[in-house]
Amino acid sequence: MKHLALTIAAVALATPAFADYPERAIEVTIPAPAGGGTDTSARKLATLLEEELGASIAILNVAGGGGSVGVTQFMMQKPTGYSLLATWNSPITTVPQVQQTAYQPDSFTPIASTSETAYTLCVKPDFPADTGEEFLAELAANPAKYTYGNDGIGGTMQLAAERIFQSREIDAIAIPFGGAGETLQNFLGGHIDIYGGSISPVLPYTENGEAKCLIVTSAAPVDALPQAAGLESLGLGAEETLLWRMVLGPAGLDPAIVDTLAAALEKTVNDPAYVEFLATKGETPNVVTGDALADRLQGEYDALSKVAKALGLNQ
Amino acid sequence: MTDRRQDIVLGGVFAAIGISAAVIAAGYPGASGVYPMALGCVVAALGLLVLGRAVLSGPGKPRILIDHGPRVAITLGTAAAYLGLVPVLGFYLASALLVVLLPPALGFRRPVFVLVNAAVFVGIVWLVFSIVLEKPLPTPFWSAY
Amino acid sequence: MDLIFDILGSVLAVGPVTAMIGASILGVFIGALPGLNPVMAIALLLPLTYSMQPLVALGMVAGIYNGSMYGGAIPAILLRIPGTPAAIATTYDGFPMAQRGEAARALKIACWSSAIGGVASAIALMTIGPILARATLLFGPAEYFWIAMFGMASIGVMVGSDAVKGLMAAALGLLLGTVGLDQLSGTPRFTFGEIWLLSGLDLIVILVGLYALPPVIALAEAADIKGLSASDLKLEAAKLPWSDIRAFMPTWLRSALIGISVGILPGAGGNIAAFLSYNAAKSASSDPDSFGKGNPQGVAAAECGNNADNAASMIPALTLGIPGNVIAALVLGALLIHGLQPGPQLFHQNPGLVGGFMVQMLLTSLLILAVGGAAATRVFAQVQRLPGVMLVPMILVLMAVGVYVINGRVIDLWVMFAAGIAGYVLEKVNVPLAPIVLGLILGPMAEQSVRRALLISRGDPTELLTRPLSAALALATLALILWPIVRAWRAQKA
Repeated sequence: MKHLALTIAAVALATPAFADYPERAIEVTIPAPAGGGTDTSARKLATLLEEELGASIAILNVAGGGGSVGVTQFMMQKPTGYSLLATWNSPITTVPQVQQTAYQPDSFTPIASTSETAYTLCVKPDFPADTGEEFLAELAANPAKYTYGNDGIGGTMQLAAERIFQSREIDAIAIPFGGAGETLQNFLGGHIDIYGGSISPVLPYTENGEAKCLIVTSAAPVDALPQAAGLESLGLGAEETLLWRMVLGPAGLDPAIVDTLAAALEKTVNDPAYVEFLATKGETPNVVTGDALADRLQGEYDALSKVAKALGLNQ
Repeated sequence: MTDRRQDIVLGGVFAAIGISAAVIAAGYPGASGVYPMALGCVVAALGLLVLGRAVLSGPGKPRILIDHGPRVAITLGTAAAYLGLVPVLGFYLASALLVVLLPPALGFRRPVFVLVNAAVFVGIVWLVFSIVLEKPLPTPFWSAY
Repeated sequence: MDLIFDILGSVLAVGPVTAMIGASILGVFIGALPGLNPVMAIALLLPLTYSMQPLVALGMVAGIYNGSMYGGAIPAILLRIPGTPAAIATTYDGFPMAQRGEAARALKIACWSSAIGGVASAIALMTIGPILARATLLFGPAEYFWIAMFGMASIGVMVGSDAVKGLMAAALGLLLGTVGLDQLSGTPRFTFGEIWLLSGLDLIVILVGLYALPPVIALAEAADIKGLSASDLKLEAAKLPWSDIRAFMPTWLRSALIGISVGILPGAGGNIAAFLSYNAAKSASSDPDSFGKGNPQGVAAAECGNNADNAASMIPALTLGIPGNVIAALVLGALLIHGLQPGPQLFHQNPGLVGGFMVQMLLTSLLILAVGGAAATRVFAQVQRLPGVMLVPMILVLMAVGVYVINGRVIDLWVMFAAGIAGYVLEKVNVPLAPIVLGLILGPMAEQSVRRALLISRGDPTELLTRPLSAALALATLALILWPIVRAWRAQKA
């Protein structure tokens, strides 16, 4: 047994770091529980990426702290190219505002963003509003009357909603839940008035008429939710907050590896199979790489920091 | 040690845990502090109850805490050394050492049996985790990765 | 009718059948090895099936899920180490039976009880699932608070001989449950600046330490260097006669109902189902004192209860698109990856697939009888033929690897070790461990639900009692607390 272990060690030693990257399994950390939106997107992408790169991909889910636990643990990894982070934007741009994290948006090597979608606010069919404008007017006219569920205190979903509410001086009561599934359950059961969360879980209920989604948090409207207004049409285009996903590496990752990965991601994200998969979840492919991605992270971080301060959530 | 003395220590430890938890929780804002502080107080109160009950009870009867001290010490010591060595020697080497060395330390004198068993066992674990599941496990410190 | 034949045809094709059989065997092993658990196994293996047809993937999930719930009973009975958290209650009577030389009989009972619980649950999934799923939506934060309280009240049966120490253990468990980021305010509690503590103490890490290390130390203390001989195992003698099956019927029925009810509520789980079933069997028994001393009814109740949770936990996922636990979430994720849209229309749009998965949950429950009874149990009973001193390091290695792969961090190994030493000492000084675990599981649910309910009611606590459903649950909790007292009083009078 010792012999075997030594052989493995010897093989590992003899291998130069970046020669024919990748030449062994890549471990992808997902800072969210198995089965959630980020997890499914990353796993589907991983199956395509495995073929493209010719290396197998092992997924490690490290949930908790709104994503900060997994991201912090990932930060300790060496920049070998064999450990990557597949995350959504919240742990990178929102969580550092409300928690004392050991990282900032620039603590990583940006590789590529993969897809994006909006959050949505939905109500029951009997709610006295049928458009985005009416919805906001109803909320503004009744301060502290309505409750809205969100993905957790100080999460991107809550900040996305509060950006809209603040600019219209709306006071709605935030009820934090453990995730979109739990929010949906309480919304359908009538325990909260407004569903706030990603589009995918609530989509079937708009189709059967149990929910009407009146606002999406993107500037443009979303095809899957025709009744929902985009923020641009409400004159709130500047308050756009998206839910988007990306792949990051540890700081100091070799540029050659970054290029290989970015090219592979660009190709697999735009693979028809993946685009179709994203469509069923109400997401669209969106690949931003390199410095542009770093700018996007920093820009969003700065914009959300204002909202967090106004809410008194910031550290 | 008698059960009376044990319970005095036990109650004291729980009381200490409860009180420190309550003190720490008092610093948390709003509703997030109330619940753990109340729990800390309950733990402390029950701990003091156990302690007080033991103090007031009779001389107490002996209650064996550890059946075989040396073996417990060997097992826990080796286990701690094993956990400490996992990140240094890597998972497989450290595990192989544990499976080979612990049985003789506990008085088992059939080295061939132990070695064969260790090889088969670590081999199966390796097959399952590294080949089938491809889970990265701690590697030796001298490995590049 | 055509649909039924279509479903049977696609489920009984070579691929899905191979997946079910293979996964059931694998599931039993995963359940039986302390540290490995079905969530981890399914999360790791599911991606391998993405390129195959969906029923292969779902068959694999069904097999691992059902197989592992039974598998957890094997080390619980043989070594007093629950293979999965849901098998904790199985140790109470399973291990005493094994010590009496009835290991094979206990395994047989566990096997049959698991299969029956699983079948009952699968039937519930196929028949009343959609109706029940709608009913679960009535459970809001106030109701979840009372469910957590109901679970806590069942501690009464687990506190052991010393009630004060039992309560103290429960309070400690609740306190440990508060470690981590408070979900409602975002305050980090008892994290001491350690980021990994933000997600709280990982239940599996604590459980592996608390429940596996003390028996391992006991094995080392005994320093057995011989192992049991083949004849000592008494494998051949174990039969389950009809008279036994009849005697277990009421327990199975009760446990199946409890397991299904717990399973269908998103957020509760198999471990709670097993505890509640065990509690119910003990309360209903004419000789409650025999529980914990090797009463076969205890094994039957716990094992039937935890398997009855399985298929039922898929009901909200398949009918509403709301995952009740991580395995259900993984199944939904796999469906999405195969291009299906989970939600209320899932069954109408893909009756073959959803129906097929339901049938697979049923068939894999029956497979437990074949796989568990004949093959796996024999293999694992052979473990007892290995000298105890050789088992000690092997179990330690499995504990370490199982705990490490959950989050991929070394610190978890030390958390497990510390929990194990604490468990060893606490057991010796008569502090029961089960209340700690129950507090750890139910504490966060109770706290978050009550605070959410108060947020929704704008701070009005009467909301917790005035809704019809919450009032009913509150009364049920009260009844559960009072029942043993009433019983004791009646016994005294008689």
